[in-house]
Amino acid sequence: MLSNTLSIANRIINQLIRDLRTIGLLVIAPLLIASIVGVSIPQKSMLDYTAPAMLAMLIMFFGFLLTGISFQRERSQGTLERLMASPVSRLDIVGGYLLGFLLFALLQVLIIFFYMVYVLDVGFQGELWQIIVFEIIIGIGSVCLGTFASTFARNEFQITQFIPIIVLPQMFLCGLLWPVEQMPNYLQWIAKFLPLTYGVDGMRALMQQGESLLGIGKEIGVLAAYAVGLLILASLTLRRGTSG
Amino acid sequence: MSNTAIAIDKLTFNYGKLRVIDDLSLEIMVGTSFGLLGPNGSGKTTLIRLLVGLLKPAVGSIRCLGEAPSPANAGSRGYMPQLPALYTELSVEQNIDFFARIYGLRNKKQRKQRVDEVIKLVDLWDKRKTPVMKLSGGMKQRVSLGCAIVHQPPLIFLDEPTVGLDPDVRVNFWEYFQSLTQSGSTIIVSSHTMDDAAHCQKLVFLRQGKIIALGTPQELRLATGRADTNLEDAFLYFIRRSEKEKNAE
Repeated sequence: MLSNTLSIANRIINQLIRDLRTIGLLVIAPLLIASIVGVSIPQKSMLDYTAPAMLAMLIMFFGFLLTGISFQRERSQGTLERLMASPVSRLDIVGGYLLGFLLFALLQVLIIFFYMVYVLDVGFQGELWQIIVFEIIIGIGSVCLGTFASTFARNEFQITQFIPIIVLPQMFLCGLLWPVEQMPNYLQWIAKFLPLTYGVDGMRALMQQGESLLGIGKEIGVLAAYAVGLLILASLTLRRGTSG
Repeated sequence: MSNTAIAIDKLTFNYGKLRVIDDLSLEIMVGTSFGLLGPNGSGKTTLIRLLVGLLKPAVGSIRCLGEAPSPANAGSRGYMPQLPALYTELSVEQNIDFFARIYGLRNKKQRKQRVDEVIKLVDLWDKRKTPVMKLSGGMKQRVSLGCAIVHQPPLIFLDEPTVGLDPDVRVNFWEYFQSLTQSGSTIIVSSHTMDDAAHCQKLVFLRQGKIIALGTPQELRLATGRADTNLEDAFLYFIRRSEKEKNAE
């Protein structure tokens, strides 16, 4: 039921608003990374090439980390069990998380985007609303990925151990640092299966080539398929009525 | 209308190869405060988790108010888990309000009224705006109870609700539980303390997932053959008796 999804999203927003330290980190950490990238890349053309990929990477990374840790806490503190004993459905829970965290992810994207464009002087051609829509699509996948990954972690520390397994390979293989086409064939093949590759390609097409959302249909399709697949997996991991 | 709140028939549950609930049958009447007593590992928490639908029986059946526990009828149950299971960044009021919302109290004005009522009931009015993380263990238990009862369910499952409570608060809890049963609610309380047992109208002693005794506190004391026996001694008596029976088989 939509009202339960909204209740859960509202609760998550209230939790984050009350946690000022996390809010601070949510804003400062991406700005710090963006600044380092901006300062360390002296060539403007290189920065224009890297910035869209950074935007895609940051929303995936923070979406995954934030949701993974929050969901793990929900499991370890017993609140998830309490929710599972209530009338809410598994989709209400995952949907509530999606809505709650996407709001913050979106805020984060806007801050980084404007910082990159107006402070670091990164050029862009596409339309802002289309960039935001595409970032939301990447964000949905990362929230579902974080929810799914939390199933396999026994504590919050273990969630961070997934970063080298889930996030770092994608960062290196998605074309953020060097073009995928210049990688060995077997790495190019692996890159085709990683959602961030499509996120980076889509963002570059939108921001550098001024493409519209219609022009990046393949990237949207692949990311949407990942998001739906992960949403189903994330919902299935929230087991109610385990028999034994 | 049936007077049976809970009917458990030949219930068995295993965690892997370990049998936690073993061929257990039980009937609990509406308006009873019913105690599940037993040492750690006797199957109390597993039984409660089965009754609220978090686990499914391997064998046997459970009927809560005539229906098998499912999300569709979860609104008729209130569940207070062993851990406080609260959102620690949120205030007392926000926690109770959240559970009121997901249990279907949609009308904002009515919900506010009910949330305020519950906060007063658990005696945390002065702390209603305080984040739960800043509360003591006993206060957290009281918030947790508030979350379980805010939607006024006819069936209330409380897993070790009095752990960590000061004696005066424990007495208040039991006074409140009794007022709930008088108004027709059925309360199932798990505990390993005999102090809680004495407050229940009816009890089962559990051991290794089996019922070793069932009755009112007075009946269980008298069954030992000694009028001055306390419930702790009665429990030990039933344990020894069940061991003897097991050895004789």
